[in-house]
Amino acid sequence: MEFTVNKSDLVRELGLSQGVVEKKTTIPILSNVLIEARDGQILLTATDLELGIRSACPAKVKKEGSGTVPAKKLLDYVRLLPDAEITIKFLENHWAQITCGRSRTKMAGMSRESFPELPPMPPASAEIPAGLLSSMIVRTIFAISAEESRFTLNGALLLLKPASSIMVSTDGHRLAFVETMKDVEKAGENLRVLVPKKAMAEILRLAQETGDGKAIIAGDENHLFFEFGSRLLISRKLTGNFPDYDRVLPKDNTQTAQLSRDEIKAAVERVAQFADERSRAIRLQFTPGEVKVFTSSVETGESEESVPTNYAGPEIDIGFNAQYLLDFLRVVPGEEVCFRLKDQRSAGELTPAGGPESFHYRYIVMPMRI
Amino acid sequence: MAAHTYFHVDMDAFFVSVEELFDPSLKGKPVIVGGKGPERGVVSAASYAARKYGVHSAMPLRRAYELCPHAIFLAGHRERYAEYSRRVRRVLDDFSPLVEMASIDEAYLDMSGTARLFGPPLRAAHLLHERMKERTGLNCSVGIAGARMVAKVASDQAKPNGVLWVMPGMEAAFLAPLEVRKIPGVGKVTERRLHDIGIRRVGDLAGLDEAFLEKRFGKWGLALAGKAHGLDAGGWYDTPVGEDEGPKSISHERTFGEDTADPEVLEATLARLAEMVGRRLREHGLHARTVQLKLRDHRFHTITRARSLDRATQLDTEIFTEVRRLFRAAWKPGTKVRLLGVHTSGFDTPAAQLDLLDGGQSERWRSVLAAADRIRDKFGDASVSLAKAMRGRFRERVHEAQPRREEDRSE
Repeated sequence: MEFTVNKSDLVRELGLSQGVVEKKTTIPILSNVLIEARDGQILLTATDLELGIRSACPAKVKKEGSGTVPAKKLLDYVRLLPDAEITIKFLENHWAQITCGRSRTKMAGMSRESFPELPPMPPASAEIPAGLLSSMIVRTIFAISAEESRFTLNGALLLLKPASSIMVSTDGHRLAFVETMKDVEKAGENLRVLVPKKAMAEILRLAQETGDGKAIIAGDENHLFFEFGSRLLISRKLTGNFPDYDRVLPKDNTQTAQLSRDEIKAAVERVAQFADERSRAIRLQFTPGEVKVFTSSVETGESEESVPTNYAGPEIDIGFNAQYLLDFLRVVPGEEVCFRLKDQRSAGELTPAGGPESFHYRYIVMPMRI
Repeated sequence: MAAHTYFHVDMDAFFVSVEELFDPSLKGKPVIVGGKGPERGVVSAASYAARKYGVHSAMPLRRAYELCPHAIFLAGHRERYAEYSRRVRRVLDDFSPLVEMASIDEAYLDMSGTARLFGPPLRAAHLLHERMKERTGLNCSVGIAGARMVAKVASDQAKPNGVLWVMPGMEAAFLAPLEVRKIPGVGKVTERRLHDIGIRRVGDLAGLDEAFLEKRFGKWGLALAGKAHGLDAGGWYDTPVGEDEGPKSISHERTFGEDTADPEVLEATLARLAEMVGRRLREHGLHARTVQLKLRDHRFHTITRARSLDRATQLDTEIFTEVRRLFRAAWKPGTKVRLLGVHTSGFDTPAAQLDLLDGGQSERWRSVLAAADRIRDKFGDASVSLAKAMRGRFRERVHEAQPRREEDRSE
């Protein structure tokens, strides 16, 4: 195999594989990127067996073929080369000879025979604008559980219906829910899948790079496929029962407080500096016209802030994990947010307030015992 | 540093004496608490009359029966002992603010600086003696010394119903003629290893070079050298009285009267054990993160399986769910089981974060179990139980003066 490729094209596409290649070297071939040259392009494939990514970039193919080399080492090296054409030729012993200007390198590679085969993409189930997909992910990814024992919570639920698409994530303490009413195409049947957290992060990256393009979504028995133009992400499906999120969405949180997002965010950020480091607990006291945010800890001291609000209900003194609130406040769009509460012991709901959004965005947080 | 005065108060034949309060006809007779006859299990306590036949606590019941077949065998009453232990504690609390119950029937008191209240040590000890008898009807023995370790040895020498004061400066002389196993912490293994090098009396031990002991027994050797000279050293003796750091683990286990492979009985027993562990966790205000199953089969093959929870718990139901999962994974159906145990550790601060997905269940269990605990306080442990645990009820055993902190450390 021998081909010539533009340096910036190669760097860009190799960059996409870095989040996927195996970092621990338990199976050496998984640290490698598979390069296949044919039909005027090269295909780059990387996988850690849970997740696989394939992308392409145009190349002058002198001789078709394939081979594998360590993905990170290749990127690190190519980045340092001058902006010019790079010629890569695979030798008999699976080594890759890289030539660029006055630089010549031979890089140890491995036979492609031992590189795992990725499953073929089945027919598409749905098409969704990449921008929409990325905004759904941004609004939910932070609430995915990191506890490995609760494996069904280690991903987000994606529900594509003809009339709407929904994404939900939860870690058992809070839940993020987005629903959008438009822009799903070709969804003849409902698609209901659990997308693992690591895949979510990669999909987000691909979707953001794709900009105005489309994402084509498909699934087979064990895998999910997200195609963005010439790039394809394949993830193992997460199996198991996602909790019944509908049951968790509060129905009778009647006490409503509207606040400036930036004000409450800044207040929580400052007060949180003095929260107990492990529990991250802070208290919010809702009284007519004012929300007091405060904390006191024997070890670190105490801190208090006051944020104006239109709240007119009874006094509610409620504890929250500051990090949970900030996760939401950092991604919610718009200038105002709304707290909907019931009492000290029941889940609180946060939503964007005001301005019409093309989303229903609801964030449910369980309080802390105070 | 000002000189300390410590009391070690040890109740005389505690379980048997409590039984005698309820049935005076037992007085003076050989009485063995632990089981109703030569059944499986061990002796929890023996009266002085039974001890004359060589019966002692922790001995298999069958062996005790061989030694003393005419003894009166009693199953015992755990609630009574716990109640009397509390009464003992109340008496002791009047004598010092620094009291530490070392087990159900013995305690250390820091009596330093109480001379103006109770007079010199011997007077205080006699006063304590009288008041104990008056308020609980029980006899005790009191050891007095400038170190807890010596006080403990002294109370043993004072038994029964006596007081022994080892005056400052006399510790080494007092200890020297005693056998090495009289030192708290010296068990069978250490004793044998000391005998191996010709050390039989504490005095022999005191004569040895510290460096030699450290080389032979490690850190424990240093503690041993200190103890031989009458100093508090090693493990618990390094911490002040009354500053209990609390338990490191809480567990309960049950040996079946007859090995069983009935899954219902086994799981019911686990439920009961989980209940008992949960109650003790709540009593101590602790939340455990690690739950462990102990399973011993009829061939005496023992396995333990543990799991760490996402968040610390003190709820019976959560402990049971976890331990049952471990049991189902570890037990081969049909295998006869001899013993089951539930062990919790990894104590952590309670999770203040409420759960979103359990529909408020753990909050409800929390209040239900708090109510159940109040009922049990009033009407006894058997008054309320998880339905699952009903078939798992059994008679609990507690041991009198089982050395808890001072186990053999020579390993």
